[in-house]
Amino acid sequence: MGVVHGQEMVLNIGPQHPATHGVLRLQVKTDGEVISEITPYLGYLHRCFEKHCENVSYEQVIPFTDRCDYLASMTMNFGYVVAMEQLMDIKVNDRVQYIRVIMAELQRIASHLLATGVFGLDLGAFTPFLHMLRDRERIIDLFEMTCGARLLYNYMWVGGLSHDLPKGFVEETLRFLDYFEPKVDEFENLLGHNKIFVERTADIGIMPAEVAINYGVTGPNLRASGIKWDLRKDDPYSVYDRLDFDVPIGLGIKGTVGDSWDRFYVRLQEMRQSINIVRQAIDKLPKDGDVHQSMPKKIRPPKGSIYSRTESPRGDLGYYIESDGSDTPYRLKMRSPAFTALGVLNEIAGGWLMSDVLAILGSLDIVLGEIDR
Amino acid sequence: MGLLENRFDDNVVVEKLDKLLSWARSTSPWFFQFGTACCAIEMMAAAASRHDLMRIGIIPRSSPRQADVMIVAGTVTMKMALRVKKLYEQMADPKYVVAMGSCATSGGPYWQHGYHVLKGVDLVIPVDVYVPGCPPRPEALIEGLLKLQEQILEGRPLTRKTG
Amino acid sequence: MSEDKQKLINDAVEKALAGDADAVNNIEDRVTRAKAKAALVKAQREQPKKEDSNDDASKPDEKEPPVSNNTVQKVSASLAAKFPKSLDGEQNSDWIQLKPENWFEIAKWLKDNPDFYFDSLQCNTGFDLGEGLLESRYNFHSMKHLHCVEIRIRVSAEKPDIPSVESLWRVADWFERETYDMFGINFTGHSDLRRILLPEDWEGWPLRKDYEEQETYHGIVVPKVKEGWE
Repeated sequence: MGVVHGQEMVLNIGPQHPATHGVLRLQVKTDGEVISEITPYLGYLHRCFEKHCENVSYEQVIPFTDRCDYLASMTMNFGYVVAMEQLMDIKVNDRVQYIRVIMAELQRIASHLLATGVFGLDLGAFTPFLHMLRDRERIIDLFEMTCGARLLYNYMWVGGLSHDLPKGFVEETLRFLDYFEPKVDEFENLLGHNKIFVERTADIGIMPAEVAINYGVTGPNLRASGIKWDLRKDDPYSVYDRLDFDVPIGLGIKGTVGDSWDRFYVRLQEMRQSINIVRQAIDKLPKDGDVHQSMPKKIRPPKGSIYSRTESPRGDLGYYIESDGSDTPYRLKMRSPAFTALGVLNEIAGGWLMSDVLAILGSLDIVLGEIDR
Repeated sequence: MGLLENRFDDNVVVEKLDKLLSWARSTSPWFFQFGTACCAIEMMAAAASRHDLMRIGIIPRSSPRQADVMIVAGTVTMKMALRVKKLYEQMADPKYVVAMGSCATSGGPYWQHGYHVLKGVDLVIPVDVYVPGCPPRPEALIEGLLKLQEQILEGRPLTRKTG
Repeated sequence: MSEDKQKLINDAVEKALAGDADAVNNIEDRVTRAKAKAALVKAQREQPKKEDSNDDASKPDEKEPPVSNNTVQKVSASLAAKFPKSLDGEQNSDWIQLKPENWFEIAKWLKDNPDFYFDSLQCNTGFDLGEGLLESRYNFHSMKHLHCVEIRIRVSAEKPDIPSVESLWRVADWFERETYDMFGINFTGHSDLRRILLPEDWEGWPLRKDYEEQETYHGIVVPKVKEGWE
């Protein structure tokens, strides 16, 4: 049986489209319903992050890192301060480290909640989105309690934190975790085992492991392809080596390893692990310790460069910082995990149907602020 | 109003057609969710569970053709600016614009070195309400929309403009 | 400014740095005094910087974990044996400096060589070193051996040609396009080298140090326009 080729049609999705998660333009070449090529056009949110970094001092970079990945601001701060502390050789005390881990993991839950919620929304499931945003609001409340901001925190500073934990934070967090833990099962039943959802995601957009590595895909997307790679385990920073947790990988429960459903399921499992990590970190949180203790008066790193990676909810977040000894960075490059995740879209979406594109795009969990910077 | 006064039952209100129209417009401003950046998340939060914009008649639409209000939520870049104008032109009259957040108002934190950032969406399209904040809380957005409702109420769509 | 005043300021600053704080305050002319104070602040700022850099010159050696140093040295030694003329200038223990000419062959070798097996390109950073020099830096990582290496390739801004490694690591496709977009480094052999973030018709390379933004883009004013912001 030969292959029938019809006439190719070019279709534009975006830059303003509710399913592109921001301002992304996809130029899709289709043969009827079957996709032959996708060309993403980026840069509709290019906010000159790296240019700003060269013009402001090291402290002032932190608010800009917030605004890059606005769904996971805490982990963006975290990556930057870890890099800066390596560059300046600063050791921070345990209380700061554990508070950072608590914040980063709560942020991971919040980010994954939005990612899975919006993924459902892309496929027409509106109710899970409302449930997940309801629970996300509770995490946001915890952050608001800590630093006053809802979305962009500027909480982690080089050598410390902007504030210590407020009174009652630990109790409130534990109460939230007790409330939230059964909810994850609810989400799994509500969305993950929903017949329509499974039909639309299982076996769709399969990403083999070699393709994932070659395209530099990291984070939950890489783990869904069956590779146990998590910087928190494999190249531990902060105090992750003192915490006990699993790295969930894609098993192909509903279809093949590395399909869209696996990517969704890995995120769901990671929420469970994050709950586990937050509990442990709260247990080990030292009672005393000044969060401003090792903060340098003036941040002026020695001449030199550093490339440091941390695990953000979207994958390997790298900061390349070059210092010329002054108080502004000479060059700062952010290696964005979503940037590389979007790069693989053409490879894994080719050959699928038009309606699958949005399922695949949703499963990659991209944030345009971080892609365009 | 002498002719119509006391002619009807108690539950009938007499009012100018002008005012009726602007009242009807003000209570259901469907908004075009034009989220570009961080503020879009707060806009989503405003429309979702806790804050629930729908209770005041404000419903999100994905297409500019079906919307009355355009909420520009987030940074607008040069590359996007040309599209913003196009989207604004696609909306049917009467149309209103809310600039949400400091980026849409003035370029926000990117005003100084942002070579690719539009320094305020009002350079491209007319803006009715500015909501400050980086990002504004959902409450602030709701406040801005209520201000817009007031503004619409004051409008007189049928009155011929003189001069 | 006249030479007398400049001399006065210099003297006062020197005295103040030596500990006599009144030397600056005693200047009678207000303008000169203000200038002297500014010069003093500048001088004070420069002083600790020098000390810093002296202190830290010895530090990096202790700080670097020995493992990563080993990888860089190992790679650099095998490179010198395999591609004798490719190393550029002095080598050190943190990165490998290469010439652009046979970068593609070296990259292929780095990826396929079973000892190194750098299957993952972590990051590609463009760099403007000033003085008409551009640099492209690659951070490689091996998922198999779990080691990293940094490679730097320097080119002149007049002829910024570096062979593309897009066909080896697909992730390099977008990385190189971004570096091209920001610095104008021309990756020869790249299948689709266009601007990725900025619009096609944008002028200039924004992250070069001598970049000046254009006045208008499609009739929209680019620099800040509103008054009274500062």
